[in-house]
Amino acid sequence: MTLSDLAGEMGRPVHFIDRPVSQQLILELLNCAVWAPNDGLREPWRFIFTDRRNGQELRGLQEPAPAYLLVVAKEEGDPHIQEEDFAAVCCLIQNFRLLAHEKGLGVRWTLHEWMYERSRTVTFGVGDNERLAAVLEIGYNAVHSEGEPAFTESPLPFELLGN
Amino acid sequence: MNVADLIMERRSIRKCTTRPVEQELVVELLRNALRLQPSLENGSWRAVYAGTPEASKELTDYIYVQMTESKLGKLIPGKLMDVFKKRFSDIPAHLVVMAAKGPDRPSSDRNYAAICGLMQSFQLLGWERGLGMLWDTDPFLYHEGFFQGIGLREDETFVGILHLGYYDKVPKSRRRTPAERKWTVLQGSVT
Repeated sequence: MTLSDLAGEMGRPVHFIDRPVSQQLILELLNCAVWAPNDGLREPWRFIFTDRRNGQELRGLQEPAPAYLLVVAKEEGDPHIQEEDFAAVCCLIQNFRLLAHEKGLGVRWTLHEWMYERSRTVTFGVGDNERLAAVLEIGYNAVHSEGEPAFTESPLPFELLGN
Repeated sequence: MNVADLIMERRSIRKCTTRPVEQELVVELLRNALRLQPSLENGSWRAVYAGTPEASKELTDYIYVQMTESKLGKLIPGKLMDVFKKRFSDIPAHLVVMAAKGPDRPSSDRNYAAICGLMQSFQLLGWERGLGMLWDTDPFLYHEGFFQGIGLREDETFVGILHLGYYDKVPKSRRRTPAERKWTVLQGSVT
């Protein structure tokens, strides 16, 4: 499947079925996703995995999902470097979403208020020089009776310099 | 090419040829990238394109206006400055991407994150068609003169410039750290 084939499919809502997601599969996808562009090859990311059974601490904070991937970004250096690192982590997550979709996995990319509270993130092992950049809710996606994805073509915000 | 190969084979292109980049292609790639990012709302981002030699030169002037006027810039001989500028203005096309700020930090970050996702898809879709890119966030871009030139509004953040061009040579890959070495499993407190 090429990337262009995926366009249009990503608009479908994610509904998880009750089927476990293996660590091995997530690692396999991540080992490809790490080919994201990142300045100076800093690779400013790391991953914390948990599943529905072990992720009780996430109850009340996140929607139920078969598996969770906490994506942690480095938060070192000046604000500019931190912004670059956050952007690199987002590219990695994008790669992961695209790869997961190919395997029949749905990914909900979440960034909630609680992820900015140190007292909460520290309980998941996020360090002082780190931030929780996203929590990915992952599971096998229910196959829906067809019906077109709810994507309406909107005007592209594309302008020419100087106009 | 399948998605995994595409992700692993894409490289950042720092040296491109003089072959012009077709605006229609850029629009098509951007439209497809947007379809992969359905969470992005109308009005939450914007792209400004410089794809002619004149536009590229105009953008270069915005970037260097501050530098030329700075103390450091005055120490740089004019000819050397011209060399800097030429390297930049010789790139056939540039796409400047801006994000709308949200009412609070999480919503701004969510939007910024989705736009980064869009830009990554755009880079991948470009690679599929032989178009190389470099995502530039060099610190010297971050100044008032440049922001004014590109028309950045107060309720917007500058995300980055993508330099676009065709390439003769694909740069070598640089090895990545295996995900296993950056991996922790959270065990529940209750078993």
